[in-house]
Amino acid sequence: MSTLHSKDLVRCSGGGTDPLIGLDCSALECTSLSPSAPIWQDILAQAMTGELLAARNYTSLSEICDDPEKVADALEHAQGERGHAAAFAAEGRKIGVDVANNVDAKHWKRLRGGFMRCIAERDFIGCLIVQEIMLESFAVASYSRVGKVAPGSLGETFARIAAEEEEHVDHAMAILRAERALHPQRFDDKVYRLHLDVMTTLAQMLAKECKDGHCEVCHGTCVKPSLFEVSLSASELRGASLQQYLKTLDMLGIPGEVTLAWVTQLPV
Amino acid sequence: MKVDFALIGHQENWRAASDVLAVLRGPERTPLPDDEIKDILPWIPPRAVCHVDVGSIIGANARGLYIDSFIPPDRLEAAYVHENVARVRAAAAYAIKAGAKIVSLGGFSSILIEGNFDQLPERHDTVFTTGNTLTVGFIVQGIKKMCALERRSLLRSTLLIVGATGDVGSGCARCLAPFVRRVLLSARNLERLRTLAAELQADGVQVEIATDLQLISAEADVVICAASLASPSLLLDRIAPHAIICDAGYPKNLSPSAQMPGAKVFFGGLGQITGGLRFAPDFHGILNRHPFPDVVHGCLLEGMALALEGRFEPFSQGRGSITQERVVEIETIAARHGIYLAPLYNADGPVQEKLYCLKEWSRGRCRDSLGAA
Repeated sequence: MSTLHSKDLVRCSGGGTDPLIGLDCSALECTSLSPSAPIWQDILAQAMTGELLAARNYTSLSEICDDPEKVADALEHAQGERGHAAAFAAEGRKIGVDVANNVDAKHWKRLRGGFMRCIAERDFIGCLIVQEIMLESFAVASYSRVGKVAPGSLGETFARIAAEEEEHVDHAMAILRAERALHPQRFDDKVYRLHLDVMTTLAQMLAKECKDGHCEVCHGTCVKPSLFEVSLSASELRGASLQQYLKTLDMLGIPGEVTLAWVTQLPV
Repeated sequence: MKVDFALIGHQENWRAASDVLAVLRGPERTPLPDDEIKDILPWIPPRAVCHVDVGSIIGANARGLYIDSFIPPDRLEAAYVHENVARVRAAAAYAIKAGAKIVSLGGFSSILIEGNFDQLPERHDTVFTTGNTLTVGFIVQGIKKMCALERRSLLRSTLLIVGATGDVGSGCARCLAPFVRRVLLSARNLERLRTLAAELQADGVQVEIATDLQLISAEADVVICAASLASPSLLLDRIAPHAIICDAGYPKNLSPSAQMPGAKVFFGGLGQITGGLRFAPDFHGILNRHPFPDVVHGCLLEGMALALEGRFEPFSQGRGSITQERVVEIETIAARHGIYLAPLYNADGPVQEKLYCLKEWSRGRCRDSLGAA
């Protein structure tokens, strides 16, 4: 089990771009007496970081949209993701922990980099694929699993946010399906290109063990080996995320035998 | 792409599952470690694994998909039945969405669904077959071939069928009962056993039934295991020393052993395609792991044969409706397209075949396969 000591103070690098969250990074200590609180603290930190990254992504997306309606949509999504991050922070406070975030942690930074390459190319569809198909599949699946086992309002918040993220995906799906209908092969090639970049990073993040060092989000040692204490496991979260991803790709109409090969080629 | 047929199956063991994932992963990547495979596979939603093209000896071709339900090999028992039925349903939905005209359900998928076809998703132009009729045909052909190889008279034999009231077991009983001296039927459901026995007795067959193998009074010299045995040793007291045993259960768990040194065991219900079989990507020897090329389970071959014939109909459905006439009909269709009984083999490898040429034998038998052996 992870234990908290003063030397294990969490990092926080949210920077100036997330004014709604405003954490005091110097005082992130666990004051809860619950033995599982440090585990929830790390789970919340990963979730909060993901939400803040999504908020940044939507804000960036708004900057390449010409259509005012799309701009408004993207900004509304960004605001929604900040709200989710705030909700996770609030759940932390309820169980006596401060929740850190680190959008510059190595994996999250690479994910942001993948998204920003689409922004640089002003590739609206590419942005949707990365955010809605890849990152949200991971969020929906993992939040749903956490929602099932987390106690009380913590579980309810994860379940509620999972449902809200799923609505985002539904919204994007209509746009992406229409895009695929125009040039299926070109669309599938683009998804594969982005898959190699983004899903490779997500797969490394979701690996059963963090083989390449600390993830820079967990407040002490890696939380993964402790997840069983709250009826979760790293392999379950990975499995559920990849399953959700495959199902989302199915909904887009990409042949299942193609996406199966993509997923089996990911690192473990 | 047109999809004439779809085959729904899953991998029988972790080695097979590992090999499938290794092909998909590609030779340039390190194979996934076993523990990762066991973690990942249960999460994979049912989906196509590869394209399958089958050719006929009379020039017909059919294109299809192999759809894996990804039932984990260690979750075949009753405790997982609801989960597994859901996987087969999802695989069926995948086949329907892919536009398959006919779908064959692999052995274990058939067992899960055979009495409950209404559990399959709503379908439009897709029909489903359990494939059990051709499986019965190949089991019966295998028994006759083995008797011929061993110079045994089927007419003087006592036939024991384990799992006799299932679709395959009862089909075998109907096909072979007229050609043996006595029939012993074993299954868990006494009521169904009585019904089947009455049907056979009405045709003058001498029948004995038992829900417990140990209670059967006579020794069998020909045995069909249409259901997997909890333990092969259950058979020991009930068979003659040199019995011919067809393992047609799923999973197949009988093998020649020190406990049954004289028994002639073979795996039943398998056929061989001689008009060409192609997988893309290439899964030869991985999806069909047999010691002979292009050998496939009869249940899957039924859908392929019907697709080659252009007969997109639910040939085998439900439980207990397989008749001799239907078996002859599907065997004839299969043989027309070059699908014959596979060479016999068991867990130790091929069963010696000095006396018969496979094709000649199969062709001859397919014309009157239910004639006296």
